[in-house]
Amino acid sequence: MSKKNTTVPGRIVGFLGENSYIIVFVAIFIVYALTTNGLTWSGMMNVFRHSAVIGIIGLGMGLICITGEIDLSVGSMLALDGGFSVIIFNITNSIILTFLFAVLFGAFCGLINGVMVGWIQMPAFIVTLATMLIYRSFAQYFCQHVDKALIGGGSSVYKMANSQSSYQTLYNFGNGKVSTIPIVGLILIIMTLVFVYITTSTKYGKKVYAVGSNMKGAQMAGINTAAVKISVFVIAGALVGIGAFLWIAMNASADPATTGNSYEMYAIAAAVLGGISMSGGKGKCLGILFGAMSYTIIDKIIVSLKMDSLINNAIKGIILLLVIMVQIIGPQIKQKLKKAE
Amino acid sequence: MSLLQMSNICKSFSGVPVLKNVQLTVEKGEVHALLGENGAGKSTLMNVLTGVFPRDKGEIEFDGNKLKNITIKQSENMGIAFVHQELNLFNDLKVYENIFLQKEYTNKLGRLDKKKMIQEAERLFQELGVDIDPTQQVSKLKTSQKQLLEISKALFFKAKLLILDEPTTSLNNDEVAHLFDIVNNLKKKGTSFIFISHKMPEIFRLSDRYTVFRNGEFVGTGNIKDTTPEAVTRMMVGEKYSDQDVYEKRPLGDMILELKNFSGEGFRNINLAVKKGSIVGLTGLQGAGSSELMQCMFGVTRAYSGQMRAMGKVMRDHSIHTAMTDGIAMLASNRKENSVIPDMSILENMYLSEHTLSAWKPVISKKKEAERYKKYKEMLNIKANSWEDPITSLSGGNQQKVFLARWLNTDAEILLLDNPTQGIDVGAKAEIYKLILELAKQGKTILINTLEIPEIQKVADYCAVFYNGEIIKILEHQEIDEMTVMMYSTNAAQTEEGK
Repeated sequence: MSKKNTTVPGRIVGFLGENSYIIVFVAIFIVYALTTNGLTWSGMMNVFRHSAVIGIIGLGMGLICITGEIDLSVGSMLALDGGFSVIIFNITNSIILTFLFAVLFGAFCGLINGVMVGWIQMPAFIVTLATMLIYRSFAQYFCQHVDKALIGGGSSVYKMANSQSSYQTLYNFGNGKVSTIPIVGLILIIMTLVFVYITTSTKYGKKVYAVGSNMKGAQMAGINTAAVKISVFVIAGALVGIGAFLWIAMNASADPATTGNSYEMYAIAAAVLGGISMSGGKGKCLGILFGAMSYTIIDKIIVSLKMDSLINNAIKGIILLLVIMVQIIGPQIKQKLKKAE
Repeated sequence: MSLLQMSNICKSFSGVPVLKNVQLTVEKGEVHALLGENGAGKSTLMNVLTGVFPRDKGEIEFDGNKLKNITIKQSENMGIAFVHQELNLFNDLKVYENIFLQKEYTNKLGRLDKKKMIQEAERLFQELGVDIDPTQQVSKLKTSQKQLLEISKALFFKAKLLILDEPTTSLNNDEVAHLFDIVNNLKKKGTSFIFISHKMPEIFRLSDRYTVFRNGEFVGTGNIKDTTPEAVTRMMVGEKYSDQDVYEKRPLGDMILELKNFSGEGFRNINLAVKKGSIVGLTGLQGAGSSELMQCMFGVTRAYSGQMRAMGKVMRDHSIHTAMTDGIAMLASNRKENSVIPDMSILENMYLSEHTLSAWKPVISKKKEAERYKKYKEMLNIKANSWEDPITSLSGGNQQKVFLARWLNTDAEILLLDNPTQGIDVGAKAEIYKLILELAKQGKTILINTLEIPEIQKVADYCAVFYNGEIIKILEHQEIDEMTVMMYSTNAAQTEEGK
């Protein structure tokens, strides 16, 4: 960092070095462009649409990872929050109340994680592993044990009742477009910008980085580290709430057994692919958007190559390994080259 | 024939000599006190002896054998045992498992012979008069028992020379007496000890002979009974000339900070009254309580009893945050662990603390922060290219200045500086003293905790010397010199009077 390369190509290389997620995204995008018969605008917009929920959850995960913690419960939380939000919609027929409930309930689920991790100082991995089991189980149990009318008459799925007068409005919101751009995609972009702003330009954002970078140092600098940790879990929960709301708007239902399955892993992968360090203190929120979209594109590539979708996770896993390997080996090679000079 | 003879030992670290032709001779069956100030080279010599560092030059003869390149393993096998200050025990294992680790008794099939190991351990403890249950988990032992376990462990494997590095730091008087009894018994049986300590009363009670180092050089050796604590202290300190005095007397304000019978973890019954604008030195040996007191004043730990008043307000069970809102700041010791946020830039590291006080204005104003940074950069003479550079790109001294700026930025009235010149080169040190005086002139009240007495001598209006958790003496500016402070902080003053 002592000497900065100030030539234009030098700057570009430096920028890409610090934002390697762009390279990953572009590489995957090129493969996508080559494998589909003609890149269409609507095809690309579809990527946006399918990245929305995982991207928004990824933002919360990114924030948690920056403090050096982890949240394994977000996938189950999505199912539980989505299911309950469907019930609220079926009772109230109000989109606003459903949205508020989804966000507040998500924040509450996050608060439970946050209090145990930040205040009681239990290890996040264990706490959220436990709540992952609990939230998923609740989602499935209540689906079987509430009045069928509340879950839209379905037997094992929370269904929005299409007899409700707001049903179509909500569904249109989830599947509509504003001048060819999907609304949910726009929401993802807005949320990303909001979090880029929070993490780069607010005092709170800097505290989050400080806690992850050196917890003892942050504490000695006067930062209430427990409060910061609790807050990131609450924010992540609220984001899952927004994700759950979008999910039911898009699908008109939430399946307690499958909704959000492995989403915690995809969210972590998107955050890591976006350059966020699991040990905390490093990374940018903008990267998460690209990380999430990279993963959605992989899905599309597999569909267009007419491959068995069961190979999907293997490819995602391999790409994640490769990216991290490059991130780790890259600097080592650089250093060796320097020594050789 | 001496048991250990080390002569002309030289050792440098990256070109800086830390041992210059030093010598040490230990006879069979004696307790040899190795003395010197912090950084005199005692630990380095012990690390050379036990094979941790290779030596650059010099001869070592142990038990009649010349030693060439020694490894840790070899020195252990020869019968040299290093009982470290931080005990090297495995807390999650049992007592006997610790003793026999890597040297377990097994039967033919490789199954551990626990019964035999426990019996052997019991026999050993009986012989030494140590009261430890071999099947106890080590984490459940008291510190004194752990210390004795370390020593027992060394003796079990027939150590001929035990190095005790400040073994009494965490022991109470009875435990010290017990330890000394055991050492005296072993001495009679022919075991030798190198005893590293800063506590004069203990040195004069236990040792037979002594060797003094200063700044990596051998100063002298002799019999304890032929010397006095004062003479030994003089050898340790030397005729150091103190650099030109930057100190000047300033008019002081009203009482701003008062401690009454203040007690907490590691310190007790502290009474101190500080006027606005004064510079107070706190000193004492490692663990004497001055650093612990500072942490408690800043709200890192809770006080047990007593009262603290700052700016006329009684502080009760305060947190770091309330201490900060009341105008107290602390530059913590151990910069890397407690101050540096390694993934953040210089500017971010500077403004972090002030932001916790102005959290009601959530958005960072880059312009305002940059102005403040420029102000402090000039005032503290911080040498940095861009404020966007990572904090880790700065030298220790410049980092420390950034952290000083971090706290000045909070507009604190009382600055607690814990070991502020740790790991900083001489030039930067001098700059920091000047700054401290300058700040005091502007009306800041400053408390400095340091083990380096010349620092206090340069700036402090008065100095509180800690011994064993209490203030043993308060010295006025003109009374502060290394000799006197050392006398009180090793409690040599009382030993002298007792004699």
